[in-house]
Amino acid sequence: MCDAFGVVIFSGTNVHIDGIEDYRSIGSISFLGRYRVIDIPLSNLTNSGIETIQLYVKNNPRSIIDHVGTGRHYNINSKRGSLDILFGNGKSLSEFYRSDIATFDYNRSAIENMSQKYVVVAANFMLYSIDYNDVIEEHIKTGADVTVLYKNVDNAKEAFINCDVLNLNKQKGVLSIDRNRGNFKNKNISMESYVMSKEIFLAMVDQAVNTSSLYWMRDILNDASTYLDIRGYQYKGYLAAINSFASYYRCNMELLNPRNRSRLFKEDWPIYTKTNDSSPTHYFSTGSATNSLVSNGCCIEGRVENSVIGRGCNIKKGAIVKNSIIFPGSVVGEDVSIDYTVIDKKVIISKVKEVNGTLDQPAYVKRDDRI
Amino acid sequence: MRANNMIAMILAGGRGSRLHALTSKVAKPAVYFGGKYRIIDFPLSNCANSNIDIVGVLTQYESVLLNAYASQGIRWGLDTFDSGVYVLPPREKADSDLDVYRGTADAITQNIDFLDQYNPEYILVLSGDHIYKMNYEEMLRYHVSEKADVTIAVLEVDMKEASRFGIMNTDSEGRIVEFEEKPEHPKSNLASMGIYIFNWKLLRKELIEDAKDETSSHDFGKDIIPKLLEEHKRLYAFTYSGYWKDVGTIDSLWEANMDLLYKNEEINLNDSSWKIYTEDTSSLPQYISDTGEVIHSYINQGCVINGKVERSVLFTDVKIGKGAKVRDAVLMPGAEVGENAIVDRCIVAENVHIGAGCKAGDAKGEHIELISKNVKKERPKKTKVKRGNR
Repeated sequence: MCDAFGVVIFSGTNVHIDGIEDYRSIGSISFLGRYRVIDIPLSNLTNSGIETIQLYVKNNPRSIIDHVGTGRHYNINSKRGSLDILFGNGKSLSEFYRSDIATFDYNRSAIENMSQKYVVVAANFMLYSIDYNDVIEEHIKTGADVTVLYKNVDNAKEAFINCDVLNLNKQKGVLSIDRNRGNFKNKNISMESYVMSKEIFLAMVDQAVNTSSLYWMRDILNDASTYLDIRGYQYKGYLAAINSFASYYRCNMELLNPRNRSRLFKEDWPIYTKTNDSSPTHYFSTGSATNSLVSNGCCIEGRVENSVIGRGCNIKKGAIVKNSIIFPGSVVGEDVSIDYTVIDKKVIISKVKEVNGTLDQPAYVKRDDRI
Repeated sequence: MRANNMIAMILAGGRGSRLHALTSKVAKPAVYFGGKYRIIDFPLSNCANSNIDIVGVLTQYESVLLNAYASQGIRWGLDTFDSGVYVLPPREKADSDLDVYRGTADAITQNIDFLDQYNPEYILVLSGDHIYKMNYEEMLRYHVSEKADVTIAVLEVDMKEASRFGIMNTDSEGRIVEFEEKPEHPKSNLASMGIYIFNWKLLRKELIEDAKDETSSHDFGKDIIPKLLEEHKRLYAFTYSGYWKDVGTIDSLWEANMDLLYKNEEINLNDSSWKIYTEDTSSLPQYISDTGEVIHSYINQGCVINGKVERSVLFTDVKIGKGAKVRDAVLMPGAEVGENAIVDRCIVAENVHIGAGCKAGDAKGEHIELISKNVKKERPKKTKVKRGNR
């Protein structure tokens, strides 16, 4: 077990998911039917044996608190470990000032009180599967001040737009941190996940606060790359950044493919989530499904194709659901056909008989809507 | 306890020997049912949903798995400061040697000390091997309003089948006047469900007397109930209407699973006001691939379906290969069906593999087959050819 505590931090200004984000923080967005986005970073930490975790939240904390609870269902020993939910300074004048640095600074004593030597920082919107023990081991071996996880990708023109990218020298030393503007195919995408000692982490926070009140961790690390030993750690597995509506849709669809799925959901690396005690899913005599992920508690009387269906959804007789993502508890009424659509939680579609988006622009139906 | 002053005791020692290989290593209450549950989840969830917070589970036959399973009270929400599930197998005591539970009543007698700790007003005695949803609090309200000493839950069965059950004959007020065990010529169709509410003080006294009676078989139905009737105690029948099943055989276990498809209105497990709670697994949602098809089935998370599944119940993490056909079957957790295999009208036990191209079950069989061992294709014997030395 590694001598580290975990920090799961909200996303920066480079992440915005139209519509869906109006109702909850990125971490508590429904993901692949039965999960929430936050389940992946939290499971990575607990599977790595990191059972003391600080989860920093910015807006709409209700759904995230409801979902993660005490962290027991993430396999955290409730006596030895803890999952603490921490907030920023609520008095802060505007959204503008609520950076990760400001929140760390506000919770400085909670960080100082940690007994572990190292801190593993994970961004809530980056999905990957990694054993942090390997990263910490490498971090100690190289003697780096900060280790940054990255993946070398050759689709940076279409994917990972606005994500941080690392400019590396041949020894994987970080020269600077930029944003991916989609100009080049090949880029080192920063996973916005860092390993460093608690001392350096706090020093970075102080340095950032003294430099600019609009600084984020990435900004101060960019500055510090001139005087600290900041190194990249290359990750080669599955990576997705949930940083826009398009990437959210694409990631769910990508994971319908079993080959992609097995790279994120590994056999000896369970992804935990909160149980809902739903019954198994019931396909009626008129119901069927193909190339789809279907969660428990659904009643399927219609047809489901190439789709991701959340818990407790009803697909009524004659309904056809294609290429769509349906959040938990929604109803697709009789003879309704939907294609390329993201349907938020507890929606009822009955009057409108057709909802169609396109592959490039999937439609979105907002939470609790009746159409 | 705080809510209704009643403790539940679940008799979970049943061997279920007519379930053959399914109960060779686990007791009947631990047998799987309904895609994700074990049978004992039903009485335990009923207790939790009925505001009963102290539950004793009396185990005996092959109890290792069942003891471990039932002791995790958190699964049913029975883990607060004043609630809990207590597993009570037979034990050695200071004044008596280790002895098995000799009958249903003896199982309670041997745990009088456990019950005395709480000193409840009422005790609810249940069987751990029945599938049903019931509000025991309603039954208690009836018990109290009738000022009964004992209330027995009864089910109206088909008159033709009444001779298979313990039958309660009642007067017009619902008071039990006679109890007949499997009568040849039944006078009523009110069958005992093996669910009793007793006033604890009275039962405690009766149990101590019964324990001393060497002619007694220490059974509620055979000894305690007839004796209480003799003593003119107030015994009442509480009529339950709804789904209830005692799955004693492979045929009836299969049938009960199929009821989820054909009698879903009666045994709806998707009712959020009366959930059945069970073990949580970290499996992915079920995946039906582009070669897979699911029609009229009941499927749990973790399943990966590359073949065609019709009229079947699939438990956690079942895998179906490409080109395989599964019809009218019940596949328990971790079962795998290889490519192009055909599975018809059977129960496939936990973790059993049906090899590629193999057949299991019989579409026209009179009885349901239980497949409890891996099915492999018989290969023509290879003749060993030794390479000659040059």
